[in-house]
Parts: sequence; C-alpha cells; structure tokens
Amino acid sequence: MRFGKPTIVTLAAGLLMLTFSAQIFAEDKPNAETNNPEAPPPTSSSDAGMSTISPEQLLKVPVSGLTPGAVDARPKLNLPPIDEKAAQRGMENFASFNCVGCHMGNGGGGMGPALSNHAFIYGSSPENIFLSIYQGRPNGMPAWGTVLPEDAIWDLVAYIKNLSNAPVSQWGSTVSSTSPAIEQVPVEIKAGANPWQYTQKFSKGQKPQE
Amino acid sequence: MGVTQRLAGLASGILIAAPLAFASPVRAQDQSQKPVPEANTPPTAPNNTAPSTPPTNAASPKTQNDTEKQSTDISSLIKDDNQWPMAAKNYANTRFSHLNQINKDNVGQLRMAWSFSLGTPRGQEAAPLAVNGTLYVVGPYAGVHPNQVFALDIATGDLKWSYAPKPDPAAQGVACCDVVTRGLAYDKGKIFLNTLDDFSVAIDANTGKELWHTKLGDINKGETITMAPVVVKGKVLVGCSGGEMGVRGWLAAVDEETGKIVWRAYSTGPDAEVLIGKDYHGPYDWLNGKDLGVKTWPPDKWKIGGGTVWGWISYDPDLNLIYYGTSNPGTWNHEQRPGDNLFSSTIFARNPDTGMAKWAYQPDPHDLWDYDEINEAIVADLTIDNQVRKVLIHPGRDGFMYVIDRATGKVISADAYDYVNSIKSVDLNTGRPVLDEALTPSLGKTVRNVCPASPGAKDWQPSAWSPETKLLYVPHQHLCMNFKTSNVGYIEGTPYVGADVDMFAGPGGYRGEFMAWDPVQRKKVWSIKEKYPVWSGALVTAGDVAFYGTMDRWFKAVDAKSGKELWKFRTGSGIIGQPVTFSGSDGTQYVAIISGVGGWSGAIAVAELDARVRNGALGFTGAMQDLPAVTVGGATLNVFALPKNQQKAASAE
Repeated sequence: MRFGKPTIVTLAAGLLMLTFSAQIFAEDKPNAETNNPEAPPPTSSSDAGMSTISPEQLLKVPVSGLTPGAVDARPKLNLPPIDEKAAQRGMENFASFNCVGCHMGNGGGGMGPALSNHAFIYGSSPENIFLSIYQGRPNGMPAWGTVLPEDAIWDLVAYIKNLSNAPVSQWGSTVSSTSPAIEQVPVEIKAGANPWQYTQKFSKGQKPQE
Repeated sequence: MGVTQRLAGLASGILIAAPLAFASPVRAQDQSQKPVPEANTPPTAPNNTAPSTPPTNAASPKTQNDTEKQSTDISSLIKDDNQWPMAAKNYANTRFSHLNQINKDNVGQLRMAWSFSLGTPRGQEAAPLAVNGTLYVVGPYAGVHPNQVFALDIATGDLKWSYAPKPDPAAQGVACCDVVTRGLAYDKGKIFLNTLDDFSVAIDANTGKELWHTKLGDINKGETITMAPVVVKGKVLVGCSGGEMGVRGWLAAVDEETGKIVWRAYSTGPDAEVLIGKDYHGPYDWLNGKDLGVKTWPPDKWKIGGGTVWGWISYDPDLNLIYYGTSNPGTWNHEQRPGDNLFSSTIFARNPDTGMAKWAYQPDPHDLWDYDEINEAIVADLTIDNQVRKVLIHPGRDGFMYVIDRATGKVISADAYDYVNSIKSVDLNTGRPVLDEALTPSLGKTVRNVCPASPGAKDWQPSAWSPETKLLYVPHQHLCMNFKTSNVGYIEGTPYVGADVDMFAGPGGYRGEFMAWDPVQRKKVWSIKEKYPVWSGALVTAGDVAFYGTMDRWFKAVDAKSGKELWKFRTGSGIIGQPVTFSGSDGTQYVAIISGVGGWSGAIAVAELDARVRNGALGFTGAMQDLPAVTVGGATLNVFALPKNQQKAASAE
C-alpha cells in the first residue's frame, strides 16, 4: 500500500492500522474496531507511476563492503524522490515516531547513534538506511517496518541525508583543543530540515551563541 | 474522542510547533542560595608527590583474623571496615570507613598496587565490592561479554573467576543515558547481578557458578536495570530504569535463595499496586488521599508516567524502613501531564518485609525539568536545635539539600547548595517548592538559562557522610540549560521525552564541584571547582581523607576538613565510578576506583555521538562537547595502597 503524499495524520492512521500487539499511543485503549489484529504487514507492492522496489531487489543490497569475487552486486533501484519536500516530511516523521527521542534533535545521537555525520555502520546508501529502519538493527534499533508505511521510511531517509550532510574538511576527524572548530546552531534556536546550513563557533561546553 | 481524532490533534500540535516562537530571554532570578564561606580552590600538588610532613594520627586498622570464622551475612559485614560489602558501604549509605592506615599525612605516598582491565569501553559507574579478601567488579553493557562479573584476590590481583551473562543487545536501544551498571550486591556467599535487559542473577561468590536467574522486566516496554541492588533481610531489592521511555516505575524484592519475586511496589497507579495501606501517613495533607498515584494524572497517563527506581536504597533497621527515590515523570513535556504526577520524583519509606509504604514525600511535584529524586538518602542522627533528630540527608537533584525526618517524611530544612533559579525556596509548612513561574515551559517556546539543568545540581553520583567531621562530601555538577518542549506520542518501547534540551556551564563557566556541606549549619564549608561535572562518587575515611575522581582522568585525595588537595593520580580514562576502601588478608588498607568515562555526561566520549550537535544525549552534549579532547573510554580497576614501609610506620604510631 502506498500513500500519494503522506501527511502526519494519514501516517498516524496508517500506523494504527498496521499495529499488532504493540501498545501504541497508550492513552487510547486498544480498540477492536480500529486496531485490527488481522491487518497485513506493510508490503512493497507499488502503484503504477511510483517507485518500484521489490523485496527481492532490496535483498540484493549488500550491507558489507566485502563482495567475494570482486563482483559489483549493488542493484540499480528506482528510488522514490529524495528531495527537500521528502526531507521536510521526514523531519515531521522523525518527531512523531520518536526517532528524535533516541537520535535526538538534528540527529546528534543519544540512545541511538548520531546521524549528523557520515558514519553509518550498516551502510550509508539510501537503500541501506531504508533497510536499517525497516528491519531494525541488533544493538537497539527497532524494526520499524512492522509499523511504518514504506513511504514514511523513504521520507526519513531523505531527512537523514540532510542531517548527515556535515561539512567535510579532511578524510579523518581530528579532536583537539582547537578542533572541531564549528558546531550547529542548536535546534532550540534554529529548527529546520537542513541543520548543517547554520553553524557557529564551537562553544566548548559554554552557553551557545544567540 | 476517537482514536483517529486524537491522533489528528496530536499531529496538528506537532505541525503547529514548526515556526519558532522565542520566549523572551529569561534572567537568572534572585538567587535563593545563601552566600556561604568557601575556601579557595587549593593549589594543585604535583602528581603523586607526598606532603613533607611525616605520618601522624595513624591508628592501627582492625586487621582480619584469618582463624576467625568469616562472616558472610551482610548485616555483619557492613559493620566490619575491612570489608566494602555493598556499593554504599552500609545500610546508612555513608561511604565512610574507619580504616586509617591511609590518612591525610601519608596519603601522598599512595601507590598503585595492581590494576585490572574490564575490557569494556563504556561508562564505569559501578562500585567494587570487597568481601573476605575478594574484590568483585562488574562492567557495563559493552565489550565481548557485556555486564561481566569478575572476582579478584585483593592481595595479589589474581583473577579467581568471571561470569558472563547473555543480555540481549537490543537493550542498548532503550537505555537512556549510556549503558551503565552501578554495581553488584552480596549476601551469604552470593553475588547479585542485574543485567541491562532486566535479569536478576545470583552467583556463587566462591565459584562463580550461576545459582538462579529471574527476569524482572521487559525491554520492549523500555525497562532496563542499571542500579546496584541492595539486600535487606534476605531480599534483593532492585528497581527499573526507563524514565525517558514511558515506563511505569517499580521496585521489586526478590528472594535471595530462590529468585522468586516477593513483592513489587509500583511508583504510580492505585494504592493497591503502589503498596499504600493503613500504615501509610503522608507528611503533608496533599500527600494523603486514596489512589493519588492515579488521581494526580490525566486519565491513564500514570501507566506511562515514569517514577522509575534506579538510584540508592538506604535502610534503618531500628525503624525497619527502607528509603529510596523515584525518577522524573514522563514525558518531559509537562503540559501533557497536568497534576502533581505522584509518585514520581518522590522519596519513599517502605517496610522491607512487605513493601508497604510508610510515607512518601515528593520534592518536585509536577516536575518540569527532569529532576529525578533518585539521589541517595543518607541515614544519620543529627543534633539540630539541641535535639537529636533521626534524619535522612538527601542532596536533591533540584539543587536543594533536604534534611528530612526519616520517621515521618517531614522536611526539617532545605537549602540550595548550587546556583538554582528554577526553584526559589522550599516552603517548610507545605513541603512544596516555590517555583519561578516565569520559567514554566510552554509548547514550542524556548526557555533559556534554567539552572540547574536536567541532570540537576547533582545526579546519581553518591556523596559520603563522615560521622567524625559531620560533613557531607558531595560530588556534583554546575550546569544550566535551554529547554523547549514538544508534543510526543507514546509508542511502547521507544522514548517518551518531548523536549529539546541544550546544556552548558553554569555561572562562572565551570561545570562541576566537589564540596563539603554542613547539614546542621546548612552551609557549604569548602569546595573545589572542577572543569567538568564531578560524576564520580565520594569516599571519606577516619584518616580524614576524602576521595573522588574527575572526568578529565584524575583520582584525587583531599583533606576532609579543609579540602586541600593531598594526592592525585592520572588514570587511563575519565572517572565516573565509586571509590571504595577495604583491607586485604595481608592487613593492607587499599583504596580502589574503576576508571572509564561514560554515563549520561560522558556518553559524548564513548558513544557514537556528534560533539557539534549540542542537543544530543538529551542535551548533555552541549555541556560536554569538549570532553573527547581529554579522554576516551576504557575501563580499568585501579587499586592503591601505601608502600609496605609506610604501612608499618602508620601502624607503629
């Protein structure tokens, strides 16, 4: 099932339809009429004109950087648009599905790892990030494919691409009394779907600049 | 209202929050903290050098008699200063030892006796336990064998056995503030371990063999266990963490022989489940009434209301009461939970046999800022206004030092011990804080410069109480924050936070302090300012030495009366652990600390976080973003003693 232009409301409704035993939005009692235990899990069957990615294709996306025999096995997939509109929707999803609770505002990392740099141990391609969200990962990433529509996950991928777009000055990273030299303008002062657009001098634990 | 309508309402709330409405800058309010005399920071002594004065004031420590039958009963072990049999040393939680082979005159000669690597690169908050010549240590969830337990010979450092549980790695995804453990418990030949994924395990202390294991909680509800258990009258007392996950907090009592749960007391909900009955008497009117754990919440919110139990438990055998505090309410967005939110941010007194509550006092009704009140409640008898009072001393997370009548729960005094602007004072007639209403958060607005920040003026890091100097030695932080709430929907097993936080150094630019506080005079006696939060515990001894560690890799000994620095040692990683002291079978007094930075404050140096994004780690990144420039993770048990000739000199005095 696919949504044309998912909004928070439709996403939330979709989320409920796809909820099984998980207690979601506990303030609402489980309701047999709206919380259908027979509802099917999300599938990747797609409508005409939208991206067409089958589970078989996604299975072929390697997570490892090692490919025996030096075969380039990475499939060429027709991904949904990963653009600013998708990133904007992704930012809203990031808050409403509590991604922010683990990965924190602007993806600085907390219970979950930072998304604000270029480091993705399960792969940094859009397909890799999609699968990390969809399947979950063993060290604490929940398997969100059980409850989120795929479009919502692709929107998250678009937002994460923005979050991770940190300026790069060298291949590795140096930490010293003078490095890093910059920090993001914190989210309580400037919020947006492209946080690396706004940076300031590194504060070293002191009050951020206004 | 139907489910879909509610979701739509929630969604529109989130959408509306997008344009930023700035609150007007908030000035620090009139400081309620009284001016206190403070010693200047003592001059720094060179590393590992001795003071020139010869050892004096050295009495012979009680030495272990090998022919005497060794006690294995916790109630006896806590009276023997050769042992350190529970994380807080004793039921009163004093962390004071009468040992004085190491004293203020010779501590400068302290040398490393041996060390041991725990093989774990995350935060080391646990206390080593010393029982009958063996040292027991436990690592956090990290390394090849998470939550691994080691037994080591105190005199030689030899590894006797290790035990590796099999915790679910997914537990890491629901542990709010690094994947720490605060330690083990011991009684009657058994070591008690809790794993991050909610198992309680009993291990034979001699052989390392597993005796039983019991599952107490569920990571899919967001429950984890990080606290050090405490054994009282044959029951292993342990609570859950997860105040940031919409967990409904509880404390459980597990039979030490069988692993069966004897009772479980929830922090929220109906009286029958909070274990409030006819013996309960709240210290103030507002703490009396039926089912307050339900009525002080919007409908059903108590089921996801936090009040987790992850700190310290003290015990008064005479009154037969245990004392512990509960965490913040969930969410951090207070507008989603109107009411006092009982019994979150509360100190409970309970009967350990039944779990039934005797009293409950909530220092922070309707908490606005994540002020958990899980900090230690030290059992002491103080002479106040010429009367001996049986009290608890509770250095509150909210920045106030509470002295509480431990029989009734009534507050005797409450004074700010750090810069506080969120609370002006505590009304001693009602027990309620007087808030600065101008700082109250409202949805989507940034409240600036709130002090103390979410970890409070002091977090879990335990203080030490010397019955000799009658001073409390308090490691703590000095942080303020910007705070912006958002609406959050509850999804089981995921965070339930609803706030963007950004912390930074408090007034003066420093971030931590180690201080001595007089709870009768109600004032700070001396203090040492530190660059970073002092996230280690404290230890004080009859040798008039207080010990603590710093996040920038110093283990320090200071004069308990003056705060003068006497000795320091550079450790491999920053220190957030608990210093302890004990004797080996060789009659030597040892001091031990596990170094290994991490924890909520130190996560930036050990976890995959980004120092450039201040809102990470629930906002703690902002205050600690330069920590990775001074330390990285890595756990080492450091064991110190005097050279043999110095020990003899001390004993000969």
